[in-house]
Amino acid sequence: MVKRIVMSTVLSVFVMACGSSIPPPNDQWAAAQNDVGKAQQGGAPSVPDAKLHLQLAEEDLQKSKELMDKDNRRAASLAAVASIEAQLALSMAKAQQAQAQAQQAQQDLAKAKGN
Amino acid sequence: MMWSRIAVVGPVAALSVSALCACGGDRMPPKSLVDARDEFSRAKSGLAMQLDPTDVHEADLALQKAEQAWSSDPDDPNTIDLAVIAQRKAQIAENEAAAMKAGQDGDAAKAQLQSLMANQLQNARGQLDQTKQALNKTQDQLQAEQKAAEEQRKKLADLEQRLKDARDTIAKIAAVKDDDRGMVITLQGEVLFQTGKYDLKPGAMAKLDQIAEALRGKEQPITVYGFTDNVGTRDNNMVLSQNRAEAVRLYLVQRGIPQDLITAQGKGPDQPVSENTSTEGRAANRRVEIVVQPKKG
Repeated sequence: MVKRIVMSTVLSVFVMACGSSIPPPNDQWAAAQNDVGKAQQGGAPSVPDAKLHLQLAEEDLQKSKELMDKDNRRAASLAAVASIEAQLALSMAKAQQAQAQAQQAQQDLAKAKGN
Repeated sequence: MMWSRIAVVGPVAALSVSALCACGGDRMPPKSLVDARDEFSRAKSGLAMQLDPTDVHEADLALQKAEQAWSSDPDDPNTIDLAVIAQRKAQIAENEAAAMKAGQDGDAAKAQLQSLMANQLQNARGQLDQTKQALNKTQDQLQAEQKAAEEQRKKLADLEQRLKDARDTIAKIAAVKDDDRGMVITLQGEVLFQTGKYDLKPGAMAKLDQIAEALRGKEQPITVYGFTDNVGTRDNNMVLSQNRAEAVRLYLVQRGIPQDLITAQGKGPDQPVSENTSTEGRAANRRVEIVVQPKKG
């Protein structure tokens, strides 16, 4: 009897961990969508590598939405991946822009020195 | 909120899963985890560690989480996600560091350009100042030269006017002409002297007074030439013409012509202006010429 109760408790904890009772990751999903928006605004679509990761982020965001309420644990993980992909896309665009600006400044300097 | 929940539940779930599947450590790690390890070691040994250690540390934490997930539950699809997240975090750290480095390089180039341009501007300003100074100097010089030229021109015009006035005055009492020696005033011998003499007649003095007055202050060299006709010996005529020229010179000096500006010279019968064959011709040859030379310099 006691053994049965302990087993059912362990099982119920296991079932909880598997996701059915995890609430939908609405906050994470919104945060990921926000990161995607930032990457779009920050110039990621015009840098090829960044564009690729932005697309991955958008796909993951979509998948996460589809899994919402079906598998909330998986939906949360995908939202986290979407977030990080969008952040990576933004960081790529930023680095590319900074490098282009540095290159321009160095060219300007070389030109001024040449005169 | 939800992560903390999973964190609490996680170990229990992991225990259950490992107990059920009995899988784990001796399996080959998935590609995403290998990539994450490589990326993290690049970030840790590169520029990111110097410029952006906080992001590298975050990547480290993410990698630890992914390693833990893999060792406890390698078949959970979320394990792969954690490896991807760890790899991306390392990449982000590297990108942030690259952006910082580029920003620093750009700023350095801009600062150098600014100082270069400041120098160039300063040089250009210096050159401009020099040019302005030179221009002012040139303008001053030009003004001074113009003023001097104007004064010189006025002086010359004044002198010319005075010379013209003198000439007009003299022309009323004597013949005046110009030749290559200068202005020549010719006085007939009969007007000045008695035959064979060289002391001036009273009427001659009156004429010479007017001539002296007109020539005074002109500061032009004057030569008085005496001429005779060819009657008598040449020697006598030479002496007579010299004496007559000298008499005129002395008188003009007495009347205010500076003596260092005036000389006298007897030419005798040389250089006649007319034939000596007629009375009129000889009369014309007996003469005194006062030559006013152009002012020197």
